[in-house]
Amino acid sequence: MNKNNDIKIPDIIPELERGPLWLKEKRYASREAYNRTPLPSRSLHLWRYTDPNKFTIDREKAVDMAFNEGYDAVEKMELNHLKEGNLAALATDLGGKTINFYGIEKLTAQGIVISTLSEAVEKHHDLVERYLYRLVNSHTGKFEALNGALWNDGIFMYIPKNVTIENPIHLLRESGLANSVQFPRLLIVVGENAELTVIDEYGGGSQNENKEPSYTNGAVELFGLENSRTRYIMLQRQQPSATFYLNHRALVEKNADMLTITLAFGGALSKHNFGVILNAPGANSNMYGLLFGSDRQHFDNHTLHRHLSGQTTSNINFKVALSDKAVSAYTGLIRIDHKAKNCEAYQENRNLLLNKGTKAETIPELEILNEDVMCSHGATVGPVDLSQVFYLCSRGISHTEAVKMIVNGFVNNTIQKVPKDLQERIQTYVTERLEHI
Amino acid sequence: MSESIKRQNKELSALNEDYAAKYGFHDPVNYFHKGAKGINHEVVEMISRMKKEPKWMAQKRHEALDIFLSKPIPQWGNTEMLNELDLDNIYYFMKPIEKQQHSWDDVPEYIKKTFDKLGIPEAERKFLGGVSAQYESEVVYHSMKQDLEKQGIIFLDMDTGLQKHGDLVKKYFGTVIPATDNKYAALNTSVWSGGSFLYIPPGVDVKIPLQAYFRINAENMGQFERTLIIADKGSRVHYIEGCTAPIYSTDSLHSGVIELIALEGAYIRYTTIQNWSNNIYNLVTQRAQAHKNATVEWVDGNLGSRLTMKYPCVQLVGEGARGEILSVAFAGTGQHQDAGAKIIHAAPNTSSRITSKSISKGKGRASYRGLVKIHKNAINSKASVECDALLIGEDARSDTYPTMEIDNEQVRVEHEARVSKVAEEQLFYLTSRGLTEDEARLLIVNGFMEPFTKELPLEYAVELNRLIELEMEGSVG
Repeated sequence: MNKNNDIKIPDIIPELERGPLWLKEKRYASREAYNRTPLPSRSLHLWRYTDPNKFTIDREKAVDMAFNEGYDAVEKMELNHLKEGNLAALATDLGGKTINFYGIEKLTAQGIVISTLSEAVEKHHDLVERYLYRLVNSHTGKFEALNGALWNDGIFMYIPKNVTIENPIHLLRESGLANSVQFPRLLIVVGENAELTVIDEYGGGSQNENKEPSYTNGAVELFGLENSRTRYIMLQRQQPSATFYLNHRALVEKNADMLTITLAFGGALSKHNFGVILNAPGANSNMYGLLFGSDRQHFDNHTLHRHLSGQTTSNINFKVALSDKAVSAYTGLIRIDHKAKNCEAYQENRNLLLNKGTKAETIPELEILNEDVMCSHGATVGPVDLSQVFYLCSRGISHTEAVKMIVNGFVNNTIQKVPKDLQERIQTYVTERLEHI
Repeated sequence: MSESIKRQNKELSALNEDYAAKYGFHDPVNYFHKGAKGINHEVVEMISRMKKEPKWMAQKRHEALDIFLSKPIPQWGNTEMLNELDLDNIYYFMKPIEKQQHSWDDVPEYIKKTFDKLGIPEAERKFLGGVSAQYESEVVYHSMKQDLEKQGIIFLDMDTGLQKHGDLVKKYFGTVIPATDNKYAALNTSVWSGGSFLYIPPGVDVKIPLQAYFRINAENMGQFERTLIIADKGSRVHYIEGCTAPIYSTDSLHSGVIELIALEGAYIRYTTIQNWSNNIYNLVTQRAQAHKNATVEWVDGNLGSRLTMKYPCVQLVGEGARGEILSVAFAGTGQHQDAGAKIIHAAPNTSSRITSKSISKGKGRASYRGLVKIHKNAINSKASVECDALLIGEDARSDTYPTMEIDNEQVRVEHEARVSKVAEEQLFYLTSRGLTEDEARLLIVNGFMEPFTKELPLEYAVELNRLIELEMEGSVG
């Protein structure tokens, strides 16, 4: 991986030259955009805390995929969840190369489409052409253009009108070991009055801190059509020396409801960008974030709520807990456009610093272009409240236990929001990290 | 209120419409030296020679000019407006014929007239410790009450300060805001003229607020005042600066640099109300250094100008230091108030509070841009930030860009912001009590601004209320 230089993509490798003309054109346009666009300037606040050089790649050095030993266990566990009926379906995506689906027969009978993107391009051509690259494309940014040019294969989901899927669909995306490069891509269209819960889990990556990192650059496009209800849960638990980049964009239509939960625990360096665009009256978005960093992890999260239409509502609650020498930068923008009257938007960012050496940056931003709004945001940074620790200690609880209880309380209401079968696992990650205090 | 206020309102009408007649008066230009437009090393050399400055200052000016020329125009903030400012089309130095004045009687008649129109009350003139009125780029009037001199307080214009107290100036000049800080601070360092130099000896408590009035009075003329205030150990001072300026057709630049140094246990409060006419760029760098147990307070009001970029800063460099910033902005149509506040915690047990209030009206845009930085060694520090924004009118815009960078865990940092319009139920309540909608709205806006106005000296508060009233005229609908 290249550390200080902006390497161009010489050409689209032949195996990506497949598919219809429009797709080829999109890939070429993305490649052009990537080669043309300079690296983002560090003076722009979105890149102030993270070096963009870390997200460029040198494909010459990229190696063939090999996967982490722990992967099989996770796959087995989720297959069990599927058997027990806790999941509606399971998809496994190994570096965008091997994609398998489990338990989708029932769903396809209902008219639901779950397939690889390459298959969807052939079988559901109109749908894919209409939605793919609409939210994350060569204009979004340099690294989004990189994904747009080089994604190998991805996952496509379409939930038809009036169809409700009660249980979550779980996507297991696994990255390769050191020096591997992957570009996962996800496109979901939730039809009118349909309902979907999806868990998008990113694991794998290079384990050994002394080795070259693995590189993952993902793109997620989500469409919530009229009256639909979508719950998207992103879990990032990559290995300790992985480099991870993700851009997520969702478009919410009339009276539709969008819930986004991001759970970030892994990777050496990760930059997540979550954006929800409220496109028609009655659209509502709730976003919850939980980030728990330890060791020398570096997290950079950005959230965006863009109110393009009036009578839309949004709410963000982003929580950060840091131990050891972990660093987090959070920037969140609420933008209310000139024509978007009667909007309500709230944003909350809380940062808990558990050790000396942790660092937290927070920039909650507001851009309000009309007067008919109700908007507020709040941000706090600090250690565990000592008076709370004192109270618990006075009840006979040890200092460490008291701190753990308070941190558990801090993260608990976010954990409660995620589907049941995932809760246990998230709790384990929290407990693991609490051992670092 | 109603009848008398209405009469008064009618008299004054909308501020922007008859601003030229009411406040936009300007006297025929009569300059001893007007120089050429634009800036280069010759202009800087000329300024320095005319001022008969010591060599080190001349050198500083030249170095700063190189820095100014090498730095690009900022790529953040309102770049559109910034790029419209033609830095080559500005006179960088002018000097009025008048020599330094030491008593009010010697002040030329036409300048007095100007102050009359500004409405500086007679009583105030007597009470103020020293009036240092900056007219054009140089101070033309300066008086100081004898009791201040007796206490050892030095209150001079910056040029005289440099001549008479060169060592003191050399020791502190540019230590808080070096020329390398930003493009406009570099510009100021190279062409500065006028401003105040204030030194309070150890333990002296200045009981009365010290003030300076100044105004811009020539087309395309930049004002680059340089103020340096040093409060020695255990001293206390409140400095007030306020200004209003005439309207001209082409853009004018005001780019001051204000440095405050509060040594151990000292207290400085610096109050400004800025009401430049709506064609002026106000790009000011204000920064204070608070040493051990010292307190610095900025009280900052931004009402005028086309584009203001001003982020008063306090560096808390000594243990137990405290910084407080109260910032108010009012942006009408065509204006962008890009104001904010910065606090740097660089020592343990320091505390700070930022309160920002902004009103955007019509097509106005008000932004809060702030920074709270807590360094690794600044343990047990506390910082709180509160931003309130009020929007009046369909096209009004409000932005909040706070930044918090926390490098240690033993801190408590809080930030809160709210944006809304005047609440319907408050209006309903007040109108049900017999107030007109206009009056009700004014009352709510005044209430919104109160945390700021109550910190001002009475005459400023009165003046501010009157200005808000003018701005609020006919804002219903």
